[in-house]
Amino acid sequence: MSSSSGTTRVVVVGHGMVGSRFADDLHARDAERRFHVTVLGAEEYEPYNRVLLSEVVAGKLDVASLSLPRSVRERTSVLPGTSAVAIDRAEQVVVDSAGCTYPYDVVVLATGARARVPELEGLGSPDDEAALPAGVHALRTLDDAREIVAATVNARTAVVVGAGVLGLEVACGLAHRGLDVTVVHGGPSLMDRQLDGDAGAVVTGELGRLGIGVRLAARTQEVLVRGGRLEGVRLEGGERLDADLLVLTAGTVPEVGLAQRAGLDVARGVVVGPDLAAPADPRVFAIGDCAEPPEGGTGLIAQGWDQARRLALLLTGQRDEPADADPDAAPGPVGAPLPQGGTDVVRVKAVGLDVVSMGVSGTRRGTDAGHRSVRLTDPVGGRHVEVVVADGRVVGATCVGAGQVAADLVAAYTRATPAPSDPAQLLLRPVGGAPEPAASPTLMPDRTTVCRCNGVTKGEIVACWRHGADTVEDVARETRATTGCGGCTDVVCGLLDWLGTTDPDRARAREPRRAVGDVLGEVEEPARARG
Amino acid sequence: MVALPAVAAPRASDDARGTVTHCPYCALQCAMSLTPTAGADASAGPPAPGTDPVPPLTVQGRDFPTNRGGLCQKGWTSASVLRTGDRLTTPWVRVRGELRPATWDDALDLVAGKLRALAAEHGPQSVAVFGGGGLTNEKAYALGKFARTVLRTPNIDYNGRFCMASAAAGANRTLGVDRGLPFPLEDVGGAQAVLLLGSNLAETMPPSLQHLAGVRAAGGLVVVDPRRSATAELTADGQGLHVQPVPGTDLVVLLALAHVVLAEGLADTAYLERRTTGLDDLRRCVAAWWPERAEQVSGVPATTLRAVARLLAAASPSRGGAGAYVLTGRGVEQSSQGTATVTAAIDVALLLGLPGRTGSGYGAITGQGNGQGGREHGQKADQLPGYRSIEDDAARAHVAAVWGVDPADLPRSGLPAVELLRRLGTPGGPRALLVHGSNVVVSAPDADRLRERIAALELLVVCDVVPSETALLADVILPVTQWAEEEGTMTSLEGRVIRRRKAIEPPPGVRSELDVLADLAARLGSTVHFGTDPAEVFDELARASAGGRADYSGLSHARLDAEPDLFWPCPATPAGTNPHPGTKRLFTRDFPTPDGRARLVPVDHVGPADDLRPGAPLYLITGRVLAHYQSGAQTRRVPALVRTSPGPYVEVHPLLAERLGVEDGTPVHLETARGGLVARTRVTDAVRADTVFMPFHWSGQGSVNRLTNDATDPVSGMPEFKVCAVQVTRWDGPWDGFEPVDAGLEPVAAGVRGDGGAHAPGTAGA
Repeated sequence: MSSSSGTTRVVVVGHGMVGSRFADDLHARDAERRFHVTVLGAEEYEPYNRVLLSEVVAGKLDVASLSLPRSVRERTSVLPGTSAVAIDRAEQVVVDSAGCTYPYDVVVLATGARARVPELEGLGSPDDEAALPAGVHALRTLDDAREIVAATVNARTAVVVGAGVLGLEVACGLAHRGLDVTVVHGGPSLMDRQLDGDAGAVVTGELGRLGIGVRLAARTQEVLVRGGRLEGVRLEGGERLDADLLVLTAGTVPEVGLAQRAGLDVARGVVVGPDLAAPADPRVFAIGDCAEPPEGGTGLIAQGWDQARRLALLLTGQRDEPADADPDAAPGPVGAPLPQGGTDVVRVKAVGLDVVSMGVSGTRRGTDAGHRSVRLTDPVGGRHVEVVVADGRVVGATCVGAGQVAADLVAAYTRATPAPSDPAQLLLRPVGGAPEPAASPTLMPDRTTVCRCNGVTKGEIVACWRHGADTVEDVARETRATTGCGGCTDVVCGLLDWLGTTDPDRARAREPRRAVGDVLGEVEEPARARG
Repeated sequence: MVALPAVAAPRASDDARGTVTHCPYCALQCAMSLTPTAGADASAGPPAPGTDPVPPLTVQGRDFPTNRGGLCQKGWTSASVLRTGDRLTTPWVRVRGELRPATWDDALDLVAGKLRALAAEHGPQSVAVFGGGGLTNEKAYALGKFARTVLRTPNIDYNGRFCMASAAAGANRTLGVDRGLPFPLEDVGGAQAVLLLGSNLAETMPPSLQHLAGVRAAGGLVVVDPRRSATAELTADGQGLHVQPVPGTDLVVLLALAHVVLAEGLADTAYLERRTTGLDDLRRCVAAWWPERAEQVSGVPATTLRAVARLLAAASPSRGGAGAYVLTGRGVEQSSQGTATVTAAIDVALLLGLPGRTGSGYGAITGQGNGQGGREHGQKADQLPGYRSIEDDAARAHVAAVWGVDPADLPRSGLPAVELLRRLGTPGGPRALLVHGSNVVVSAPDADRLRERIAALELLVVCDVVPSETALLADVILPVTQWAEEEGTMTSLEGRVIRRRKAIEPPPGVRSELDVLADLAARLGSTVHFGTDPAEVFDELARASAGGRADYSGLSHARLDAEPDLFWPCPATPAGTNPHPGTKRLFTRDFPTPDGRARLVPVDHVGPADDLRPGAPLYLITGRVLAHYQSGAQTRRVPALVRTSPGPYVEVHPLLAERLGVEDGTPVHLETARGGLVARTRVTDAVRADTVFMPFHWSGQGSVNRLTNDATDPVSGMPEFKVCAVQVTRWDGPWDGFEPVDAGLEPVAAGVRGDGGAHAPGTAGA
């Protein structure tokens, strides 16, 4: 795919999180300096972290913290504020809105997705976000986030339409800012793309705890606008919710116009094969939210970044190994395999709400008889955990309010590590063994190590006492206990106190003092003898 | 934590009577004194034939700022290595496949002859040298000088490449200099927060825990370790936090901490403005590591990551805290992204404004006894004494002048350790290897491959004190002095230069490596002077280091004897002026970079080179136990330590054990891409359920480094000991248990004897 000069001209359309990441990945792997990359970015901004826009809304993050690494590198030119309008596949050029052409050997579509604006009475044209009435916002771009933040200054009540991940994050964020928030969701339960009814109910309860109202199976009929300004929404059935801020989080629509106009196969997104290439044209690739790979697009950044990495490997003809891998090793297949574990982890980032979903759980759970599902539902405790195990590993999980359990399950799911034979063990963190009863010398077994630094057991200290040691200093001299870090001094004191109380007759019975080696040598050491 | 007993009887030493020195093992270099055990007389001269050749010594802890009189079991029992039954006391030479005792003359003639022939036929680079982080500064210096001026080979590196290379590379590129702790250890005592990554101090240097008492009382000890190690246990009961990431993801934890510090406005902006460069690039790089993403990769909950960042920030000086430290150890450094991980740790410290402020900072906790000094004086492939670059012409000219050679004759950079070992006996690779102070076949990664490479050598010469596993493979073994039998200096983990002193005469037949190198230089016809008096060698080292980053030129044995509190750099001052006081704390005014500012360097996470895959669904991590040191060549010869920790084992989580169908004590088979072994299970919930842990101090069947990965960090050349993918299965096959110590040298009744009237080595396994 290279031009006659031996270099390969790559045009990347889109300078968002995935487009910029791809340019970096390709540059990092281009050891032969073969690729000349041009990145066309429609926005004037440098690439920024779209995933964190809801954190900006929540007031947890400064806008400056969103900027992502710039693709300012050798053999890479980034042209912000440049909108591609056409791909001439016959001529192999991309054309921008000013009529400039960019010749390519490979074109990579990373145009992303835009917010879906539902068709609602009072909203105007759904295709024109700019035409939304004052007080109504989608949340997809940095400008959207800035406008919402600006609007919160005067707003008291907010309605969030659409309770997917973003909707819940925005709702919690606005509530965190002190707004009175109601979530309107058309589905039967919150986050119903991922969560089943039980899990959704727990989330509803959690939102209630945060003071957020929830309307389920509720369709917004009309956006109430007076004098160009939002007043509220009317739901089907007639309920009216007053609001001076309306945020539409009703999903996204892949940006496929360019591909469509170029005659490429488009379904929901730009159709690509496992190699991320359009079936109709091996010079055209699509990655990120605009793409529709065989496994389906998840809308998650992890998938887009993984595609960026895989495409960089594919174009440079490398295997999926770190840059310093042994060059003498037998060559493997070119191109990176899909990860063996799951990549579709959905995680709500919200103040006061902890929801994680992955794989075939909740509403995505199939009917496969080999899938074993266990669950723990604790609505009052604000907790719901479901784990699905197949072939000895976690293939799906839903976690609400599960903390570290969720983090453990993500690690197990994404890495395909072996699950315990009883999957119910995964519902809770394993309870640690009882700590060694340092404060209870009576219960401590003789083989318990009291002084780790010097490997001294309780049994040895008892023996030492029997041979006349009275004080910590005596014990230290005889056994060296307490002479490392000193951390066991309390325990040794406790042991001596205990011995003094329980063994008052020692004075009569005790044996003459002997050297430390003799004492150590005669003590039974069951703990030490074990491997 | 409570204070040590006021009357710590065992350490109430009489310094005037005993030999004032330091422990032979780790970089804490605990102060101790050695006195002849009651009833024995060390000054009686050579023992009469048939009597005990080495008088017993009694070890006592000595008050010192680092160990405050404390010693661990290794330290207390250290003197028994001096009397180990299989101490080498005569050279051994392989004759028709069998090691036989030889005279020093015969052995050295053989070595010199072979080296000369190899160099003549294949060029000087056909001879390689492998040093150790346990050698004194004097020996390390002499070894580097010998390689560069006598052998003229570029191929010298050392086991510090397994130890400190990533910390060194990370610190050099950010702070401008690599001194493990750029502050005295006791400073840590006043901290409000300590972030300790990949270090198990409670087992590796127990007396150092005294310095964590304050931070634990403040609830500020944060230990990052996939395993609930003895050190992680110290965070229990509100004394701090244990962060338990998936192995190989420590870098992600650090990137997330940096993200939170920036995102929540916790950074020390005035410090960043005044003392650093690179904030913009770093900000962009960590923007991609928000806590929820980091959680998915590292398994550490986002709430924990935020809590740790806030805890560190609250303790940092710019926010009115009492001080915070970020400290790294081998757990995060022995990784194919070790340099990046250290860099990220330093980035976090810089964001919080810690380095260069008294009571705060970043430090790497050096492992080996002289891991610090060992990397400063020329046994590293790319370095000359004084921490100078061998590629820097001014440095070459300076050092060449001290050595009396032409700078043009000095070789350039050689191969780093793992690469050097991989090339042994290969076409164009080294054909001879001289090993000093290292037991590579136990301590290097992918150890089975290394044995193959060593077998392909034409000459292996090992200088050692006992028949270590590596020595037993040698063509020539040269018995050398150890620890209490020699004078010298070590540089501790703090950059403090301390004196090692002689307490007893070495056994007859044993020579110092300084003598061996001088003798070999002469036999090889070199005119370069090699001193054999450690004080004289130190003076030469000091001159060679003058003007370097690690400048020792204001130090001498005499000055160190008078002042135990000297840290490098300590340059010479003009005659008649006061001597330089040494440098306890670095960076207080500026950083040793061209613009005086520290550099924030953006890094990113890649993950382990040998990550989980079908057929290897678990992580294998390795580490240490308290009772043993490194490859165990010394500690496995101390009966008390073997009693405490007799052999290798594999830590398995109860849930994994149940799935594998094993119980405590059941043998399990571990298989990685490099090899397999069988070891006993130890069931414990201290490890993650997706991870097994094995300590690395043993050889043979129980040697976990036969399984570890030799993939290296692209910057530091450090191998990825600490994480690889493994398959674990229950073992029902034949298994003899564990053989604690290798068979050793068989006494040979041949008429060849050492020229010092040596005693033939006794049987091994004392």
